[in-house]
Amino acid sequence: MIVNLALICLALSIMLAVYRVLRGPSWGDRITALDFLGVNVAVLIVVTALKTGFTAFLDAALIVSILGFLSTVALTRYLLGGRVMG
Amino acid sequence: MRFLLCLPFMLATWALAAASGERVSVQGNLPAELLILIGTLFILLAALGMLRFPDFYTRLHASTKLVTLGGIGVFGGSALAFSAVQASERVLLVAAFFFLTAPLSGYMIARSGYLRGLEPYREDTSVDEWGACGEAEPSPGAP
Repeated sequence: MIVNLALICLALSIMLAVYRVLRGPSWGDRITALDFLGVNVAVLIVVTALKTGFTAFLDAALIVSILGFLSTVALTRYLLGGRVMG
Repeated sequence: MRFLLCLPFMLATWALAAASGERVSVQGNLPAELLILIGTLFILLAALGMLRFPDFYTRLHASTKLVTLGGIGVFGGSALAFSAVQASERVLLVAAFFFLTAPLSGYMIARSGYLRGLEPYREDTSVDEWGACGEAEPSPGAP
């Protein structure tokens, strides 16, 4: 019951973040919303693992969180005029 | 179509996990339920703040700080619930990585936005002590 309520709240917040990605007046809002979206998807995968009882979802949550952080770092370094790597 | 080869292995893994009887549940685990509920409500508040705040910096504030606070609740409650099947250390690994990277990504987004010259909402009440707003060279092709 609590898990279903948590899934509903997370889905609603993901929808609001997608609205901010599509609408966002500047590129900074889009990067912020994409970072928020990555964290949200990781939390959603953890709650899904709790609902289904299938613990292999936790590795997927770790991978999604790593990919979200790396994409944020790459986008900000690109926009600051430096190189992305090195 | 080569990726379909992994399908039998996934099905076998799922069948093993379903047949081993290690069911995890938060039903009746009151601290885990409370922590997950509080965490998801904070994440929903963060999304609402990102929808309604007027400015790039205030939206970044809502997103970064409230998501960090909500992650404490969700990951802590999940670790409490997964301790029944000896899987809570993986949840704590995800939580440790999240707490290392969430302030760092917020800092990098705010720094790039400031140096590329995104303006604050209300100029007469804000003080710019650094004075370097918009001084960075944009990348070729960057917006």
